[in-house]
Parts: sequence; structure tokens; C-alpha cells
Amino acid sequence: MIPVNSVIALGLIVFAIGLIGVLLRKNLIIILMALELLLNGVNIVLLGFGMYLRSTLGGVLALFVIMMAVAEAAIGFALILSYFRHKETYDLDDITDLKG
Amino acid sequence: MNQAIFYFFALLTVVSALLLITRKNPMHSVLYLAFTVLAIAGVFFSLQAEFLGAIQIMVYAGGIVVLYLFVIIIINLNRMQPERRRFFPKLFLVALPLLLVAEIVVVVLRHPVQSLPNAATGLDAQTLFRSLLSTYLIPFEISSILLLAAMIGAIIVARKRVSNDPRQ
Repeated sequence: MIPVNSVIALGLIVFAIGLIGVLLRKNLIIILMALELLLNGVNIVLLGFGMYLRSTLGGVLALFVIMMAVAEAAIGFALILSYFRHKETYDLDDITDLKG
Repeated sequence: MNQAIFYFFALLTVVSALLLITRKNPMHSVLYLAFTVLAIAGVFFSLQAEFLGAIQIMVYAGGIVVLYLFVIIIINLNRMQPERRRFFPKLFLVALPLLLVAEIVVVVLRHPVQSLPNAATGLDAQTLFRSLLSTYLIPFEISSILLLAAMIGAIIVARKRVSNDPRQ
């Protein structure tokens, strides 16, 4: 008997940790990893509510979120590699090309 | 018993996620990411969503984590710079998500505790696939187009420019 409240709370805590990582870190690779944490927190919440409401929609939406995470990781790494070839850096403080 | 397994994996998830965002070396963070992903797969298994747990292990631990490892190997780690940030922006950036989660946790805890149904309903592989291939067929096909577009886009963005053609 797992209470649905603790499943939702776990998803929210993982989401908040990922949000802190995205906002606080300046290393691009670690920011992408924290984005994966955000998506995983959303997945946990979707699964908890899907089980609680006895609906297949939670599992189906979690599958689509995983597909989207794969696409996001591939595109993000392509952008990081392409930028790294130009500027030899992946620190957010140095990525100020568009600053006026 | 099921509840104990769930709380064990939940604790592992939270601790390794906290370690992920605090390590300085990205290689350590990747290893903690693998740990977090496997612990979340354990959470899925303890919720009796075995298909999603298997997908989580195969796609995340087998695909995305290996991709992170390759990128960190390609990018030179010797030129790693320490991260500097002043104290008050840092405090603000930590306090904002914490306030958000405190608000939502209060809302969640204010409701009475309701336990999940004992048998997994609608999350086993058979019903999941049946609804995925009947009710949600069009989003399923569109997501395959999304993956194809992401693959082509990643190849085009990340390739090396070999020719000196200025139009490229």
C-alpha cells in the first residue's frame, strides 16, 4: 500500500533538485543532466497519478516524455559539441556571443 | 514490503540526485546520473509499472548515460574552470525552487493520505501497448517523426565542416 501522496512528493522533490541544478550550475553538461532530472520527476508524477486514477494515460504520457528526453539529449549534445569546436569552452559565463 | 522497497529506492534517488548537482567533475556527475536513473527504475518496479522500468533502464541507463560519457570524453576536461557565483544570487536561485516545492508539498500533505490500488491497473505491458497502438496511434507515429528529425538535426549540427565552401 504505497500512498499516492509520497509518490507525488518524490516526483516534486526530484523536479526541485533538477531545477536547482539548472539554475545554479554553470557547466553546460551538468545543466543538461539536471534537465534529465526534471523530466524524470515529471515521469514519476505522471505514473503516480496514472495509477491513482486507474488510467493508461499516465504510462503512455511517461513513454512520450522518455522519447522527448532522448531527442532533447541528442540535439543538446550536438549543440554543445558544435559550440565547443568554435569556442573551446562550455562555461556559461563565457557564452556571451549574443550580448549587445 | 512493497512500501519499504519504494521508500528505499526513493531515498536512493534523492541522495544521488543531490550528489549529481553538487559534484565539480562532470564525470562524477554522469556516474551519479546513472545511479539516479537506476534508482528511479527501481521506483517504477516497486509501483508495478514493470514495462516503464525496463524502458527506463534500456533508454536512460543504456543510451543517454553512454551518450553523456562519450561527450565528456570528447570534450577536453583539463581546461575545466571553477564556477564562481556571488552569494545573494546563489541564495535566490536555491530559495526559489525550494519555495515552489514547499508550497506544493503543503498542498499535497493537506489532502488525506490515499493509498494506490494494490494491483497495477493499466500499467502492465499488454494494456499499455494496446492503448498505445489504438487510442494513441497518431501521437505514437508523430513521435517517430520527431525522433527522425532529431537524429538528422543532430548529425547536421554536429558534423565537421571539411570543405572551404563559404556557403556552408
